[in-house]
Order: sequence, then C-alpha cells, then structure tokens
Amino acid sequence: MKFRGKIIDIACLNHFTRVITTISKLTKTCVLRLTPDNLFFVLSEKVANGGVSMWCELSEANFFDEYQMEGVSSEDNEICLEVTPENLSRALKTVQNAKSVKVKLTKKHCPCLTVAAELPTLSSSSRVVTHDVPVDVIPRRLWHEFKEPNMPDFDVSIYLPPLKTIKNVVDRMKNLSNFLVLEANLSGEMNLKIETDLVSVTTHFKDLGNPPWGEDASQAPSQSRDPEAMVQARVDIRKLQQFLMGQQVNPSKAMCNIVHERVVHLILLHEDVSLQYFIPAVA
Amino acid sequence: MRRLLSKTKLSANMNCRLDGNCVKAFGKAIHALSRIGDELWLDPTVKGLALRSVNSAHSAYACFLFSPLFFQKYSLQSTSEGGNEPIKCKLTMKCVLPLFRCLTSIERNVEQCHISTGPPKDQVMIQFFCRHGITKTHNLRFQESEALQAVFASHLCPNTLTAPARLLSDMVMHFPASQEEITLSVTPLRVTLKNFYEAGSDHMKMVYTEMSLHPDEFDCFQVAVESDVTFCLKELRGFLSFAESHCLPVSVHCSAAGKPVCFSVEDLALEATVVLATLTDSESREPSQPTASQTHTTPRCAEASHLAVGSCEANIREPRGTPAVTELVASSQGSPIPPRTDGLWLPVEDCTNAPTTPASSMVCSLLFRALFSEQDSDPANLTVLACYSDEEEENMEEEFARSPSL
Repeated sequence: MKFRGKIIDIACLNHFTRVITTISKLTKTCVLRLTPDNLFFVLSEKVANGGVSMWCELSEANFFDEYQMEGVSSEDNEICLEVTPENLSRALKTVQNAKSVKVKLTKKHCPCLTVAAELPTLSSSSRVVTHDVPVDVIPRRLWHEFKEPNMPDFDVSIYLPPLKTIKNVVDRMKNLSNFLVLEANLSGEMNLKIETDLVSVTTHFKDLGNPPWGEDASQAPSQSRDPEAMVQARVDIRKLQQFLMGQQVNPSKAMCNIVHERVVHLILLHEDVSLQYFIPAVA
Repeated sequence: MRRLLSKTKLSANMNCRLDGNCVKAFGKAIHALSRIGDELWLDPTVKGLALRSVNSAHSAYACFLFSPLFFQKYSLQSTSEGGNEPIKCKLTMKCVLPLFRCLTSIERNVEQCHISTGPPKDQVMIQFFCRHGITKTHNLRFQESEALQAVFASHLCPNTLTAPARLLSDMVMHFPASQEEITLSVTPLRVTLKNFYEAGSDHMKMVYTEMSLHPDEFDCFQVAVESDVTFCLKELRGFLSFAESHCLPVSVHCSAAGKPVCFSVEDLALEATVVLATLTDSESREPSQPTASQTHTTPRCAEASHLAVGSCEANIREPRGTPAVTELVASSQGSPIPPRTDGLWLPVEDCTNAPTTPASSMVCSLLFRALFSEQDSDPANLTVLACYSDEEEENMEEEFARSPSL
C-alpha cells in the first residue's frame, strides 16, 4: 500500500485544510478512503454516532498537483484508513504558508499519514516540518461498511436557506428544547419547530425552491403529493447544530431531503467537494 | 517550611514611574512570569527592578530586569533606619496578574503607572493614572523574603544560538498548545525540534511533530557539542511572546542533556532570562518518585539537572567569582564541593553529596542562591535558597537557608 500526494498551490492547500477542519468538527474519528481519483471521508452509521452518518467526496485532481496511490491489491485498488481528522487539521493549519506540502502514508511507530511541509525561509535553505499523524489501516473485510450511501427514497427535497441563518435559529432553539422538527413541502416552504410544555417556536422559510431531481430520481409514489403538504422529521437538535457549526464556507448548493419521520439527508455541494450528512429521526 | 529572616534587616523605599507604553511591556513581562510560577518576586536594586518567578517544581525560573533607563523615574531611598539595602518582596501572582491582565485596555487607558514600596506600610502600591483623570490605586500585601535568583553561567555553555524571536515562535507554533515537552537537538549542521512523549503514555495516538532549521537561519550559531535537551515548552511560550512583541533576538544557551537550557533577550532598557531544567539522559524514568509532588513534572525534574549554583547571573556577561567552581557543583551530584574561604558556599550543599535520601533528590532539583544585591561585596551576606534547614545553620553567622517551597 502506498500513497503520496503533493500540494503546491496555496489556495488548494487552504481549501483542503478547510475541508478537513469541517470534517473534524463533525466527528472525532472517521474513515479516509483513497482511490485513484478520489478521497472520501466516511462516517458510517453506528449506534455510537447516534445514528448519524457522513459521506464527503473530494476529487484529488482539484487539490493535489501530484497524486500516486497503490491500493491493497490490483483488484481492490483502494486504501482505507481510520483517522482522527482533528490531528490532520491541526497539522495542516500550521503549514498554511508552505511552499509545498506532501501527504503520504508511512510506517513509523505505527502506520501514519505524514504531513511534510517545506516552509519558506529568508535564507537559501528551506525549513522542513513533519507531522506524523497516526492512522489505523482498515482491513478489506470491513470495507463494505464504508460504501457510498444510497440516496434515500425521500418524500420532499428542498433547497436550504443560508446556513448561517439556520445556524442562528438552531442555536437559539437549542436553549429551549433538545428536539427539533424539520418540515418542508414541495412548494419551497420549510419550517423549523420546537415544542415544549411552556413554549413552542416555529421559524418559517418561504420561496426556497425544490431541486428538480427528475423522473429517474427516487421519489416516493407521491406524484400526486399535495405540494403544500408538509413532510417532517424530528431530530436531535445537537446533531443538527453540530453539522451547522462545522460549515465554514457557503456551499454552491445546499439541499435537504426528508423521508417522513425517518431521516433528514443534508447535501452540500461546493465546487470540488460534496458533503452528505444523514440525521436519523427520533420518535 | 521554616524561614529564617535576616538578622541584619535593612530596608529602603523603591519608587518608580512608568509611562503608558512601558506599562504594557511591564504587563507583558508579568504575563510571561505568570506562565512560570504562582509567585512574583519584586527585587528593586540599583541595577534596576527585577521581577522573578520560579515554578513549584523548581525546574523553571525567569527573571525580567528593567534597568533604570526603562523608567521615567526610578529611585531607591534608604529609610531613616539607615543602610541602603532595598527590600525584596514576594507577591502572589493571583494578586498582581489581574492588574495587568488586559493589555489592550492598559494601552488605551493608562497614561502612567507608579510603583512604590514602603516598609511602614508593608505593601507595594501600584497606581494607574488613567484617562479622564481616573486614578486606580492598588495596595498589595507582600511577604518579605530573600531575593530569588538562579545562577546560570550561560557563557560557559558550549552551544549558543541567537535568532529573531519570530523564528523561535514560528518553530514553536507547530506544536499544539497542549504539548508539554519538546526536545531541542543541536548539531553543527542542523537544529531540530521535536515533541517528546514520556514512555508509557498513549503515544500511539499522538501526532509526532519534528522540524529542523539550517544554521543559516540563525544570527549567531555556535555549536561545540552535539546535544539533545528536553524541556517544558509551556513555560517558554510566555517568554517568547514577550520577546516577539519587542522584536528582540533571543539567545539560546544549552549544553548536554540534564543541564539547564537558558533563553535570554536584552536591550538597553531590559534583560529577560528564562532558565529551564532539562531531562537527564536516563533510560528508565519511573513515573513515581518518593517525594510528594503537586505537578506531574516534578518527578521528572527531580531527575533533571540542577538549575545551577554559581556566582553568576545568567544575563551577566563578565564572569564573576570562579565559574569553574560553578560547573563542578552544577553538573554532578557526587562531586566534592571545593572549599572556599570567602564564604560563598554553604555546607548546606552537603545535600548534594547524599543523593540517596528521597528528600535530597527532591531538593537537589534546583539550588538557588540568594543575593541581597548584585553589588553586595560582602560575601558573608549570601544565602542559598535550597535544601532543608539544618539546626547547625542557626549558628552560622549571617548565612541562612530555607527549604524550597514545594
């Protein structure tokens, strides 16, 4: 197994660091899947995560100037590593002004992702910093747990309001209740609701627009669905807040798919990164 | 802890005035000192006002000496009791730090600061003259004590590096704020910094960071002996921040593992030094030492080298006394103390010759020499702040010992 990637462009380095920082805010550990063309950060659905799962896809060509990898075998040309994204994020943050940064799989006291940066100096020689981030190699037999999630049979798909706005609302609602109801319809309307013994608060969003998934997209047999009918899911407010806290940049597209009382599926599309986040509904 | 007060107590008043900009620098020094220890020694001398601190494990010491040039006005006045010995006072950091906590607001509001001590009041008065005619007066109770001073013959160190503070800050920045200790490796070709983890810690999960610099990056690079010294990074950060804010080059003096490492800056108005004990080269490091320790660093520092005994201050360039003697005592526990007739040394050093008892291994972690004043030519007034007191010392004329505050 071999992996070596080199980033030279400062903007790419910056962007890569931001993606990893976002991931680090969403989860403490996750799986990094390396394929010849892509990198995936995966959090699989587990009780320990509270049922949330995450799938983040990056195209290597958008970040790396050099990218070489050799998977476990020629049929399974992939590498799966369990990593603590915060370690990676911290290592990258210290070298933002580097002339070049190499990320490679190495074996030190344990398997590591080594971040090796060449820093600019006033003298002729350059300064080299290395951070060895320990990782765990995931054996092939467990790879099935980290597959790309299927698009759920959602009932409603809607574009999200600006993330910052939702975050402000959710932050305040969190003080009042542990659970939040997310509801939306096919007329571009979305509500965030909380309800306690003492108070209920609803924030209404209108004219959001619904993504045109098209006939082949999986829609529940509801072509006859009333466009005004609300579909909802009740989620743990902290999980939604955690998702919103990590977002540092406004995505090009932000969508939310709701399976009635089952799951909230959030999709953020940036230029070269896509992030999907699933929050299960609670009773 | 038994404290023996000087029989020949002399006292004087210190009065000084700082203008707005200097108050900020003064505050920054206090911030840096607060990263070292919980107590602040205020030592007004003819050479200037010295602020010192030491950590509880006696493995880190810092001294900021503000020369009279730093102040708008600086005077030492003897009281009617006669004598010209300034008093030394010890303050708790908890009292002093809050006064200087918010440096930006000090910068904006404080126009002048007066600091004065006076025996009749048993207090230090710190007065801030602020904008809009507001005056804030703080009276802090001090505990009179002998001055604290670690002596470190930096000019005897085989390795000296000087670099802009920015360079060292940039190096240190790569290590997470939680990183306790780092190892500085110096060879004639390269300077390397890497993080250090105690054996047995969960180092499988930790990120190893290493970085190296080329000698060209240093303003001064003298390496006579290859060495690896491991010291506590946390205690250094405050000092580096101070040095960076003053754009001063930092000198690093180090030698073999186990011997202290010293970082210093100076300009016309001030000199600042941090001396840190380093880990010895021992293979096995028992995490538990027989001595009680408040901080987890204490066991290590009991093995760590002494922060020397000697006749020189770290920031003095010209040698005083006989440095050769200093080296002997500082480096080896078992070496005999050469007899001196001028009374600079105390038999209390006997503790270094008896390393077997847990108490002595603890106290020998750091020996301090207290000097009443730099210009005090009467060697008989010298005191060592170290070791447990012996009864026989009470019979010694004008020589006192005090057990370390642990």
